[in-house]
Amino acid sequence: MDAALRQNQSNGILGNYQIPPQFLDEVFMAPGQVHPHYQAVYRQFQEFSKEDFKELNEHAKMSFFNQGITFSVYSDKSKGVERIFPFDLFPRIIPAQEWARLEEGIIQRCVALNLFMQDIYGAQHILRDKVVPAELIFSSKNYLKAMLDFKPIGGIYNHISGTDLIKHSDGQYYVLEDNLRCPSGISYVLSNRVAMKRTLFQVFRQFNVSTVQEYPQELLATMQSVAPKGIDAPTCVVLTPGVYNSAYFEHAFLALTMGVPLVEGRDLYVEKNFVYMKTINGPKRVDVVYRRLDDDFLDPMAFKPDSMLGVPGIMAAYKKGNVNLLNAPGTGFADDKAVYTYVPDIIKYYLQQDPILNNVHTYRCEKDDDFQYVLENMANLVIKPVDESGGYGILIGNKATKEQLAEFKTLVTENRRKYIAQPIMNLSMHATFIEGEDQFEPRHVDLRTFTLLGKDRQFVLKGGLSRVALKKGSLIVNSSQGGGSKDTWVMMEDGAGMSMEQRDSMEQSMTMDGQTMTMGPQGMSIGTEGTMSMGKPGAE
Amino acid sequence: MKTEYEVVYRTHNTYEENVREAFFSFQVLPCQNESQVVRNVSLNNSLGAETFQHPNSFGFEVISLHTVEPFNTFEFEMRAVVEKDQTLFPVEGILSVEEEQEQLQNHLFYLQNHQFLGFDHYTRISEMYRAQLLMQQPQQTVYGYLQHLNAFVHDLLEFDSEPTHVCTSANEVLKLRRGVCQDYTHLFLGIARLNRIPCRYVSGYLNQGLHLTGSAVMHAWAEAYIPGFGWQGFDPTNHLLADAHYIKATHGSDYADCSPIKGTIKTNGKQKTSYGVSVHPLQEPSTARQSQTQSSFQE
Repeated sequence: MDAALRQNQSNGILGNYQIPPQFLDEVFMAPGQVHPHYQAVYRQFQEFSKEDFKELNEHAKMSFFNQGITFSVYSDKSKGVERIFPFDLFPRIIPAQEWARLEEGIIQRCVALNLFMQDIYGAQHILRDKVVPAELIFSSKNYLKAMLDFKPIGGIYNHISGTDLIKHSDGQYYVLEDNLRCPSGISYVLSNRVAMKRTLFQVFRQFNVSTVQEYPQELLATMQSVAPKGIDAPTCVVLTPGVYNSAYFEHAFLALTMGVPLVEGRDLYVEKNFVYMKTINGPKRVDVVYRRLDDDFLDPMAFKPDSMLGVPGIMAAYKKGNVNLLNAPGTGFADDKAVYTYVPDIIKYYLQQDPILNNVHTYRCEKDDDFQYVLENMANLVIKPVDESGGYGILIGNKATKEQLAEFKTLVTENRRKYIAQPIMNLSMHATFIEGEDQFEPRHVDLRTFTLLGKDRQFVLKGGLSRVALKKGSLIVNSSQGGGSKDTWVMMEDGAGMSMEQRDSMEQSMTMDGQTMTMGPQGMSIGTEGTMSMGKPGAE
Repeated sequence: MKTEYEVVYRTHNTYEENVREAFFSFQVLPCQNESQVVRNVSLNNSLGAETFQHPNSFGFEVISLHTVEPFNTFEFEMRAVVEKDQTLFPVEGILSVEEEQEQLQNHLFYLQNHQFLGFDHYTRISEMYRAQLLMQQPQQTVYGYLQHLNAFVHDLLEFDSEPTHVCTSANEVLKLRRGVCQDYTHLFLGIARLNRIPCRYVSGYLNQGLHLTGSAVMHAWAEAYIPGFGWQGFDPTNHLLADAHYIKATHGSDYADCSPIKGTIKTNGKQKTSYGVSVHPLQEPSTARQSQTQSSFQE
């Protein structure tokens, strides 16, 4: 080790890193010693001086400004302020094998929840068998009678799921939430990767990282797979509430990357139970709508009557089978945090399998003994409203003041169905660059994953949004609550890789696990290239 | 004995400023069931817009229209001939009180009828009012109890269209002690459901020949499930049982499922809405009318 490197280690951006004693650190095992899958990246980052890294960090920030990626926050004080979602250049790395198991677990969960929704809006076997209490479902404000006795085209409800995971101090992944309504964040995953490549291309190219940029095409294929009967080339659109929505950028981003129109409610209308889009060439029939609009606002004829954001009559067109909506209306009862308690039972009931992913123990305040426990142990619990998202209305017991605790005790007592409580989970920590301190410090992270279910197709994005709680000691990672994010690298199998190249305009070849597939005027051929051996199973 | 009615629903809206785009839905068609047959339906609107239909969550036909032609007045009219049969009333004593309760407490029965047993904005009754409500007594049959409840709600409230509006809840009605047929019905629903009796909101028309309260506009009443019999209509506004003079359009959990007209319009100014109905027997079988009114007072 030369002198310059030695100096960087002590004074550099990672030199003063303090490993958190009571939490799992995803990067470091001991001071200066990282987990094997971080070894190569760590070596690269060690070479950066403070000054170099600050410059890179600014460069990455500029990438977001240039891409126009901002969001706004709904709160009393800072209404409509546009912000950049802070991005951290140190990637979160998930080894291939670890991911493979996660992916299995996520699919299992999403498939079971889809069957659950089919059943609840159909024959309700699970309620007849009393596996899930009927009152719990019927009392959810997101349980829609408009969906009863109706099966959407393709039988899919949660086309897009955003399963939130955390890694606990026991090294295991736990599911925190199943987001089955309009999970957001995918645009950050894709633009984080762009920023990463723009800023640290020389580092990035050395690693075999699974790609994420195929997501928009996968989403489009998912939409097309559930088009109404008899439609071969469906017209798909993204329906946004408009520019004032906090996720408007994402709506525009998805429409652009899928190559489909971005529309607002006023651009669509319903005539004779078909949906049409107003275009300069006259009306155009719309077949599949990815709507980023809550159920309440979707159709003033069926739901909130004063909504001007929706499309009057679209629910009738939907139930006639003339248009499909993603996600299906009424999925919200299934990601209700009180229903969450039953997801392991739901998986066993429909799939006759043991759940692969863990659930966090959840106290339902509606139950008398749970309610008592919550009141007595509030300081050691996280209290969450069952039907909110975005980290709003949450109390973290050990961080709360006496007044806040008292306030929540009243809230919970007044509406027991609305609240659940969970033990405070020890979210794992990850080295994160802290501006101002200009060094890496451990911060809590979670992982939002993105899963697509279509007719006869399933897809889990190999990656996701690693959200970082930037505030020291904070456990809330939501972007609306001052969180940042990281690029998430899901590694490919050791020794395996995929590359694609176009030799000339006539011939394309793809190499995967040493197998080369060539497509050209001479037809298609598959063969093993050179002396490379086939991927070694299990070796890592 | 059959009675034929001509049922007409008419609405007239005027707007201060031109409407640029509009979507209207109507739930005003009389429905078909064991006791009524609907014929000769005709729909007219002043815009000449083509109407289209779809069944709502409970299977009742909704008529919709969409227009982008500017307008400042809008008229809609539905005409139908309804042939109404004599209705049968429940007979006491088919099931014992215990057998009735067994059915009402049955889990599967609850699942099948949960939409008519839940409490929502319109039907929830807060603890503070419960003590003053009429509840089913242990030895009382469901039908016996509901007839008393019909009288109770009728006597508790005073008919008054001033203080309430389309969003008034049972709690507000209990506070005001006044209201219209919608309010009487929601209160009846709320109390019946507290007794675990499935009960649904009905919207429809009243024979105007009887000069009953609420016959000038669309009327509302309740249908409750009597074990061993089925659904029976109760009209707490008039303290009557629904019989051949009651022409049903739709039912649902509460008013929100049955509102006769819904619309989304793009305009800047104010609007005025008026609507009315006319319901008349086509040939007046006077004897039938008498026996009908008598039977509905049998208790």
